[in-house]
Amino acid sequence: MTNVLNAIIANKPIRQVVQDKSPSFTFDSEGKIKPLKDKGRLLPSKIFGSPVEYAKDLKQDILNIGKAAKGKANDHELGRINDLAMKFGSLCLATYLFIKNPLKLSKAMEFVGFGSFFASMALWPKLAIQAPLRARTGVDIHQKYIDSQGRKKMLHQDPQYDLTDLYSREDLDKMGKKLNVSESLPDRDDFIKQRAKKTAIQGNTLWMATAGVATPVMSALICNRLEKPIAKVIETYDLISSSIGMEKGATNGPIAKLKQYFNQRALNKFLQHNADRVMDDKLISELADKLGKGANSATLQDVIKEELRRLGSSIKLDESFIREAVGNKLPQNIFETLTDKQKTILEKAIESGSVKGISDVLASAVPGTKHEQMQLRKTIANLIENAKRTKELPKLSFISDKIQSIYSSLSAFASEKSILDKFITARVGDKSGTYIANQWGRVGDKLIKSLKLSTSELKALSQGNIDILTDKLSQLAANDLEYDKVVNDLMRLIGDYESKTNSTVVSRIKQKAQDICNRASGDLQSKGFTVISDKIASSSQKSTIENIINTSTVERISGAQSSFYRLLQSIDLIKKSKDGILEQQISKILNEQGQKVDRATLDKLIKVCNKVILTATTTDYVEKLKSSGFQLSEIEYKTVMKALFDNSTDVSNTLEQSLSKSMGIERAQEILQGFRNYKDEFMNKIANWQNGMTQDLSRRTVTGITNSANAVERNNIVGKPIKNLIQDVAKQTYNSQKWLKIFGTTFAALTVITLAIGLTFGRKSKMEKQLEEERKAK
Amino acid sequence: MVYSVGVQNQYNKQVYKHASFGKKEEEKRSKCENHDVLLIEEKTKHPVSTAIKIQMNKLVNAFTKYPEKGFKGSKNANFYEYLTMGMVPYLIGSGMLIGVFNIASKFFDTPAAVNSSKIGKKMGLGVLAYGVLKTLSKKLIEIPVKLARNVDVNLPYDKVVYELPDKDNKDNLVSHEYHKVFESVDFPRFDMFYNNKYFGEERDAYYRKTAKKFGFNEEDIEHSDQKVKPKIRETVVKTRLFTTLSSYLWAATGVGIAMQKPWESLIINPKTRLSNLKDYLQKAKIAKEQGRNIAKYNYFYKDFGTKFVESCKQFINNDHKATKYAGRALLGAAVGMTILGNIFALHDFNKDKGSKKQAATSLIDDSKEKVIC
Repeated sequence: MTNVLNAIIANKPIRQVVQDKSPSFTFDSEGKIKPLKDKGRLLPSKIFGSPVEYAKDLKQDILNIGKAAKGKANDHELGRINDLAMKFGSLCLATYLFIKNPLKLSKAMEFVGFGSFFASMALWPKLAIQAPLRARTGVDIHQKYIDSQGRKKMLHQDPQYDLTDLYSREDLDKMGKKLNVSESLPDRDDFIKQRAKKTAIQGNTLWMATAGVATPVMSALICNRLEKPIAKVIETYDLISSSIGMEKGATNGPIAKLKQYFNQRALNKFLQHNADRVMDDKLISELADKLGKGANSATLQDVIKEELRRLGSSIKLDESFIREAVGNKLPQNIFETLTDKQKTILEKAIESGSVKGISDVLASAVPGTKHEQMQLRKTIANLIENAKRTKELPKLSFISDKIQSIYSSLSAFASEKSILDKFITARVGDKSGTYIANQWGRVGDKLIKSLKLSTSELKALSQGNIDILTDKLSQLAANDLEYDKVVNDLMRLIGDYESKTNSTVVSRIKQKAQDICNRASGDLQSKGFTVISDKIASSSQKSTIENIINTSTVERISGAQSSFYRLLQSIDLIKKSKDGILEQQISKILNEQGQKVDRATLDKLIKVCNKVILTATTTDYVEKLKSSGFQLSEIEYKTVMKALFDNSTDVSNTLEQSLSKSMGIERAQEILQGFRNYKDEFMNKIANWQNGMTQDLSRRTVTGITNSANAVERNNIVGKPIKNLIQDVAKQTYNSQKWLKIFGTTFAALTVITLAIGLTFGRKSKMEKQLEEERKAK
Repeated sequence: MVYSVGVQNQYNKQVYKHASFGKKEEEKRSKCENHDVLLIEEKTKHPVSTAIKIQMNKLVNAFTKYPEKGFKGSKNANFYEYLTMGMVPYLIGSGMLIGVFNIASKFFDTPAAVNSSKIGKKMGLGVLAYGVLKTLSKKLIEIPVKLARNVDVNLPYDKVVYELPDKDNKDNLVSHEYHKVFESVDFPRFDMFYNNKYFGEERDAYYRKTAKKFGFNEEDIEHSDQKVKPKIRETVVKTRLFTTLSSYLWAATGVGIAMQKPWESLIINPKTRLSNLKDYLQKAKIAKEQGRNIAKYNYFYKDFGTKFVESCKQFINNDHKATKYAGRALLGAAVGMTILGNIFALHDFNKDKGSKKQAATSLIDDSKEKVIC
């Protein structure tokens, strides 16, 4: 007979009997078996958890990763690891984008975006669903409990896994009261538990249905609202840190030293690796990149190349070499015919190895027209360069010591200069996020706000509609209170700008530039690298790096100052137009010139004055306002210029009073004096008409014009047209408002709908009411 | 209505017979489908269509049936439905995120709209890249695990759920859910593999095969199910851990690639593409008449491919040094985590130090007490 039992056993799963070390039962006082006491309990119902609790959970999650890697985790732990991994992945992404973005604000916004997204994900269900439902029904849909194994879980996550027994008497009574469950109901507790479960299912469904729209929109709105405050924080940090940096000088901190160490190592490696390469143009370019690294100066790069060419040239650029190179292109006795002055310049050019210098002197010594001399200069330079090229170039290893020597001087200079650059950029840097750029933005914001524009007007203004701007400005001028307020607001901004770019700041920049440039120049001079040293700082040369730093800074500051004065002038002019003062001033100027004053001319000139001050660019002034389609006669042009920029036509009393009121009399007079100086400069350098209407300011060589400014200076004096400023800000404001309107409305609507739907939860259904009645009756 | 609930006892050769999707309610309620069914045949023979059908079933229910039950607070609502509804915020959220960066730009003037569209395009592609790479990258660990250990962590089964009657529904009380056998490491559905003829004639054919894959001695594969179940559970935990960790790194890499400059010039708008194609065809016609050759039209797939390659290059070889290293680090972390995942998931850390035979026999010792489960 077949052993049936064996056959069954062979096909059934079997298990080894293992003695459990921790039995799942205990004994009661009578010695009877009873189950262990469960340790599960509800956690206090809170909307926001404590950071300590969060840190503890985080630590546990990280430890669980190690456990899971050995295959020992459970579902709960794996679920929590998933949430942690999602945050970690997002953090990695935010870090990557932080590094990738060049602007500090964009960098910061990457982390703000990361934080706001997760914050929205957590906050939306808490604020829009959990809190209102808890307040109304007493049911916390995200109620947490801790199980016997110490795992924190959501009580209402799985409706089929009923844990409502964990509710205490107080909890049930509280919920029962809010849910309006009759106290006389026989099985009241069960009824409350069922209602709590139902409310939780509804709440969780509402969460799933709304989170998709709410999270991204809420996150975007948070980012939108935080952008400006963060920009302000970054700006303040830059201003303070760059100022401290200037005080400290080149940092000798561990990071700076480490950087220095790595750069030096990279250079050594490069020199070793390329020791056998000849000093051709490619190698020189590569070396110049390495040596000039960090100094942020194209001029310095060029001059390093020149120095390296000189050092790398095995050819001595002497008289005989030049003679041989140029052949019969120059007279044989050319060197003998040179004047003493020319000889001195030639010697210097030969010493510095400057082919351009040599060809300049030699070409100028040959009689001929300027054009012929220019041609000759080019030919000579080419011949010398070709002759140099045909000779064998030395290898890099021959001059690696000298390169190391240049590097030691320039690396110190570069780190000093980068500190100075940071100081200048933080204040007047020509890029977004700097103090000056932000301050202009704030001025624009204030103006736009005070103009009280409707959305359609804002749109029209953003598209360059000047009439709206003029109308709105005159409306503003008509209201003394509002006018005072605008002047006050703008003057505060201008006053702040002045305090950050005043003469003390400028002299600090100049002093620092002088210090670092002289030190580097002296060091390089003593080592014999005259080409670079002369370019950094020199008493004889004009275009040194020191001068470039000084002039560019002063230009930026004065350019911005002009724009602010132009703003002041605009708000003064609208007031004067409104009060009729401008009309009187124009009439007076016309009378002085013996002109007949009629209404049409007056209206025309008032209009021109307003338009000029709001829109005219440097080109318009250079072309005597012809390009703007004003069609002005010489007299009219003079009248407009005098009315706008002659100091005999002073500012309106209202502006003066407003200024005194907001800044104090002394400060107001200071600002007005600065404004008068600006007008004087404008009259002299821009509104010039000594040579009649045909004189073009762009030609500086016209005889008789002694005080004409160059292009950069002219742009700085004219400043930014107010129309451009307002248009830029209007564009940004319009776009921002449009965006906010779409998503702000979406978010508001979603919140209202969510709250309204939440109101219907926890209510008794007809069936439940009936059931309640039946139970009561029983 | 009475249903006989039990384990499947007969392997049905007709593929799709078990799967309930696409069938009428009547058919669903037929006698042969009143128990949970492993969809191994369906998944092996038609992996793509089975996955699509399951996902579509979940998607439709997530937007219709489950929210309806949820909003009513139905007593039949369960955790599966709650988790499936998670698709709703995931999909709507992705669309919204694309919208946040793109919708408003059509109201802007040209320069602002162009700038905004550049950012919007990258953000939109970033959202898509996040989803695609997060899903696909998991396969880089799951497939090797399946091939080497015969453990398919995504193996689905059709679960029959018997609901309680309520006032709206008193007859149609059977619903189907598509679970994965290993979706819970605490309670994996090991029972689904017994008596499944797909794996072989023996009752525990799947476990015998899997035991071999885990390196157990072929001569000692009796009680293989008991020997291999803990190993499978460990493998599933490790696979789940590393697919999770690596998938978010791959998703971040995807967004990083989508943020590169080349995408800015990608034309996505179908209207613009169509008008460009028309222009091209006209030019091509004229050129043909004149006997000239002109360059081939840049179709979307080609344009997309070129931009993708350029962006990948820029991601790991950016001109900005720090960005270059950051990109490489991110990609390296994703690749590294995948490799690590493969090593960990396929390596048996808890193996006895002795021989395979000893290890196998040490699990079930015949000389000691044992019980039939």
